[in-house]
This record gives sequence, C-alpha cells and structure tokens, in this order.
Amino acid sequence: MTAVADVVAPDARKAGRGVYRTGVILLCAWVIVPLYLLFVNTMSSPETVNSFPKSFIPEFNMGSLNFFMGFQGILMALWNSVVVAVLTMVMSITIGAPAGYALSRFEFRGKELFRLLILLTRAFPLPLLALPLAVLFIRTGLDDTAFGLSLVHTTLAIPFAVLITFSLFSGIPLELEEAAWTLGCTRLTAFTKVILPLVLPGITASAIFAFVISWNEVFAAAVLTIENRTLPAFLLQTLGEAPLHLKFAGGFILVVPALIFIFAVRKYLFAMWGIANR
Amino acid sequence: MSIHSKLAGAVSGVAMLVGAAAVQAETLFWSTQARPAEEAQAMRTEVLGGFDGEVDYQPNEDGPWLTRLQAELQAGSGSIDLLGSLHGNFSAMNPEDLMDLGDLGVMSASDTFNDLAMLGTDSLHYMPWMQASYIMAANTEALQYLPEGADINALTYDQLIAWAANVEDATGQKKFGFPAGPKGLKHRFFQGYLYPSYTDGVVRTFASPEAVTAWEKFKELWSHTNPASTNFSFMQEQLLNGDAWIVFDHTSRLAQAFNERPDDFVAFPAPAGPTGRGFMPVLAGVAIPRTAPDAESAKALVAYLMQPETQIATLKATNFFPVVDVELPDDLPPSVKAAGEAVATMSGSADANPGLLPAGLGSMGGDFNRVYVDTFERIVLAGQPIEQVLEDQKKRLEKIMNETGAPCWAPDAPSDGPCPVE
Repeated sequence: MTAVADVVAPDARKAGRGVYRTGVILLCAWVIVPLYLLFVNTMSSPETVNSFPKSFIPEFNMGSLNFFMGFQGILMALWNSVVVAVLTMVMSITIGAPAGYALSRFEFRGKELFRLLILLTRAFPLPLLALPLAVLFIRTGLDDTAFGLSLVHTTLAIPFAVLITFSLFSGIPLELEEAAWTLGCTRLTAFTKVILPLVLPGITASAIFAFVISWNEVFAAAVLTIENRTLPAFLLQTLGEAPLHLKFAGGFILVVPALIFIFAVRKYLFAMWGIANR
Repeated sequence: MSIHSKLAGAVSGVAMLVGAAAVQAETLFWSTQARPAEEAQAMRTEVLGGFDGEVDYQPNEDGPWLTRLQAELQAGSGSIDLLGSLHGNFSAMNPEDLMDLGDLGVMSASDTFNDLAMLGTDSLHYMPWMQASYIMAANTEALQYLPEGADINALTYDQLIAWAANVEDATGQKKFGFPAGPKGLKHRFFQGYLYPSYTDGVVRTFASPEAVTAWEKFKELWSHTNPASTNFSFMQEQLLNGDAWIVFDHTSRLAQAFNERPDDFVAFPAPAGPTGRGFMPVLAGVAIPRTAPDAESAKALVAYLMQPETQIATLKATNFFPVVDVELPDDLPPSVKAAGEAVATMSGSADANPGLLPAGLGSMGGDFNRVYVDTFERIVLAGQPIEQVLEDQKKRLEKIMNETGAPCWAPDAPSDGPCPVE
C-alpha cells in the first residue's frame, strides 16, 4: 500500500497542481472575460458591435462613451448614487454591527426569532413595498431625498450586515475579551482595543456588501427619487431598450465606479481571507 | 474621533440633501415613452428645449411609472406635472384622477383618437400625443427570394410563408424574425394583424373555425421562423446582425436599422389574409394628474406639444407620427421615411382592414393580452391541439369581457352589452 502510494505521489501532486492552476485560471476567466468583452464593445463603433465574429481587440472608438458624457444629468446621478451608497454603508454598519455583536455575545429571550425576523426584511419584494413606502415618504417629506432612499437600502443591507458581523464576532474567543477585562479594560475599551481591530476587515467586507446592494438597487430608487435620481434609476431604465452599443457603454459606466471602489478597499477584503495584507 | 467626525459629516450631508429637495421649479414630465437613451436625449434637447420654461423629462418603465403615480394620488400631493404614456395605461386608470383637458382648445385631428381619450366619459382626460403602428421590414438580400408574382407592397400571408420558406431553402437558415421575447409585442400581432386578417374580428371570432385556420397558418410561418425568436424583443437588432431577414415589429423598434444602414433594408405593409389586410395603430397620450403641483405650466406644455412644429420634432426624436394635421418636411430621418411610406401604403391599400386599440378593458388590459400570449405559447411553442386551446382560452376571454363589460371595437361588429365571444 505505502509503496504504491510512494510511487504515485509525485504524479498525483503534479496532477493536483494542474487541477489547482486550471481552477484558478477558470475562476479568473469567469470574472474577467465578461468584463473584458464589456470593455471591448464599449470601445467599438456601433457597426462592430452588431457584427459577428467579435474582435477581441478594442478599436478605441469613443462614440458610445461620448454620448453619455453629453447625457443630461448623468454626473448628478452618479453623485447621488455615491451619496446614497455611502449613507447606506454607514447606517447599515452602525445598526448591523452592534446587532451582530449582541447576537454572538449575549443570551436573551427571542434570540432565534430575532435572527429569523432579520432575514424577513428580504422576504418581501420591493415592488410590493414601494407603493406604501412612497405614500409614507411623500407625507413625511422624506420623498426624493438621498437620506430617505438610503433608509430603504439600509433595510435591504442590514440582514447581511448582521449575519456577517455575527459570524465574525462568534469567531473571536470570548477569552480574549475576558483577558482584556482582567487587565483593566472596561467592556467598551476591551471592544475598541482588542475586538475591533480583529473584526475591522470583516466589517469592511459587509460595508462593501451594503455599498453594492445600494448601488445595484433600481426599483425603489426609481419610485422614491425624482430630482435626486441615482445612477441605476437614471440609466438602467433608458438602457433596456437602447441600441446594443449604448447598452454596452451604459453597462460599462454602471460597473466602473463600483469596481474602482472595490479595488480601493481590496486590502481589507484580502486581510479577511487571511491573505497577506498588501 | 474619526467615527464622530464621520457621523457629523453624514448628518450635515443629510441636512443639505433634505434642504436641497425643497427647491423645485421645473415641470416634471413623467413618461413611459421615448425611453431608449438616444430618444430620451432627443426629447430633452430637440423637443422640450424649445418650450418656454424648464422641463424635467423622466422616462420610466411601466412598473415604477405607475407605482410612483399611484403613491402621489394616494398621498394627495405630488411632484409629477405631466404624464406621458400609451392609451392602455391611461385606460386602466380612474378618469377622475386625470384633469379634464377639454378647455385647452387643442385636440388631435382624429375623432377616433379623441373618443378613446375620453376614457368612456364625455370629456377629454388625456391628450392624444403621437401615434405609430406595426409594419414589416426586410433585408434587401431577401428580396431575390420573393415568390413569383408577389408584390412586396401587397403580400398575402401565404406569400409571406412561401417567401420565408424560399429563404430557408436557399440559405439553410430560418430567417423570419418575430418579436416573441419577454419584452416583444407579439400580442399586438395576434390582436391587430392575424385575427383581423383571417376572422375579421378579435373577440367575437376568437375560437371560430377561421381562427383555427389563422393559427394553422401561423404555425406554418413559425416553422420557417428563427427559433431564437422567443428571445427577440427589438427586431432592429436582429435585422442589423443578420439573424433575421424578414421581420414584423413596432415602427420605433425598427428605426435603428433604417437609420444605421438605410440602403440595406426595406419597409413594407403587413400581409393580407382572407378578410383583408388587418393592422392596428399605437396611440400615446399626455395627461395631467389631479395632484400636479403646477397644472398651469403643465397645460402650457400640453399645448406646446400639440403644435405642428413640436409634433415634427417629436417625430424625428421618437419615430412616433403626429396626431395633428402637419406638412411633413423633406429632411426626415430614413427610418421615418421608410415607416411613413409603409404605413401609408398599408392604410391606403384596397383591402385595408384597420382595427382599433382594445378599449374599455380598464385594469384588465394585461389579462386580455395574456390570453393571446398564452394561446400562442400553447399552440405554437407547446404544440397543443388548436381547437382545444381555443376552447380553454375562450372561457378566460369571456370572463374578462363580462367583468369589464367592454363593448366590441373594430373590426368586431358593434355589440350592445359586453363584447360576446361567439
């Protein structure tokens, strides 16, 4: 048995590495190829976009992008999107992280029910909720404000914020906190000096989640904002029926800011996954 | 520290945004039409740019459009000044929610349209704004395969089927394209084209023996149709990329093909069947909701939209034709010329059998369309027996007609009560 294993081992290891490499390449291609095609088609003239076979080399025709540069209100919509997404991010963490901490550290009545109820906020489709929400917002004056919309987006993002931070806090032994208390920390300072640095990467990850949820949401944004439209509400509805080359360019414009944001905070994500912090 | 400053920043940001929202001087034009990016842009600059006052033109999909409008009506106050949409959306609304536009002194040149716009009352609740229709278009390469003796401007359904078959024989590919995708307007083909051409009706004749023939013919046509048609919603895309050579669609959903390569495509009338050349108009209108914050400027905007010059600018921007009498200029885009000629030939043909838009269905308009789409899916896609499917769907159609009490519309013969399904 062992002799056979010894003989096979080098080959098996080689094969294993091959599988690993192929896996990595496939996963990267899974993400990069569609983005690359989006980029190539954005940079192509309408004729090239409609022709077949497709070229893999961009021809740097800026016509489609230039159209959107002259599109009325697009910069304002981009700005609104950023404001709403950042507000959503801040609010969902301020509310979600303490809830996650409470769920992981304290025993209280109705804890299981609470965990279930949190998920329920995602159980109702937005088109169903949008009408009563809009009526309420119009009556209270929250209508057509970035703050009002980010309240809705926060509700959508909170289940993720709570559940992600819950598992983060659960992964940190209570003994660490207890040790800090014995060394003179209060409950608060033990949290800020010991626990917070450990979970910060994870919190960033759930903040990114909140950002992306807000960035992608269209229906509530389209109903609840008028003057202060977000980019998806402003652009996505005009793209569904637009010619192909404008669809590509519009998609590119929608994707790039989110990509830049995720690229900027990538080191926190990598840190959470245990990859060297660089 | 940093969390404090961030919070402070967020709070002041919120305060600024809440404050900013209070300022609103533009007339808000809330529309489901001219949605594609290029059309929306042209509406803003070419059409509304000439209005004396600021207009905020916001195109939306039907869902958000209606939800927002309902919210404003329920809340009793709103920011929408002017609504733009298709007849079907307005007819599903309560006429009380739309202001009476009868005192504006403008209306469309068509009595039929003005009647439709009264929504069953005796005053004008929306203003007919622009119109379109559905036509056929073909790649010029397909013309060589036209069956012998066929005139492209007076095709019959049999000739169309033979033509599609010839193309398939010659190229080995199914090149007829039909907008049967999720956003395609296939139901209008059955309601306004296939049924009137074969049965001289839409509702009365739904399950008649002639209707069976019509579906048999359509199945025959489908056997030469690009099977990917169930994904096609805008036939201009398939014309341009060559997936389809002969297509049927809404004039504005073919426009891009003619504008990009005007010499490669021809537009022509829909085919004729045993009971004539059935065809149907598309009517869009503008209306003022009762919650409009600035009804005066909205009314001024309606009057502006109805001026002949504005109607021509709208035609160029959206490929929807004027509803008032205008002298069309020579410098029209290729899509407008092609579609205009095809529609004129169609309505001027000796065997023309014009239909009307479904009327009186109220909020059941969607269910009415569903009947035709389901019938298509069961007969053509699932291959179920035609008589059986028509009998099944007939019950649903009867229920809709009885619940709404909608009387018959052309080409069905007029009825006293709800239109009967015979």
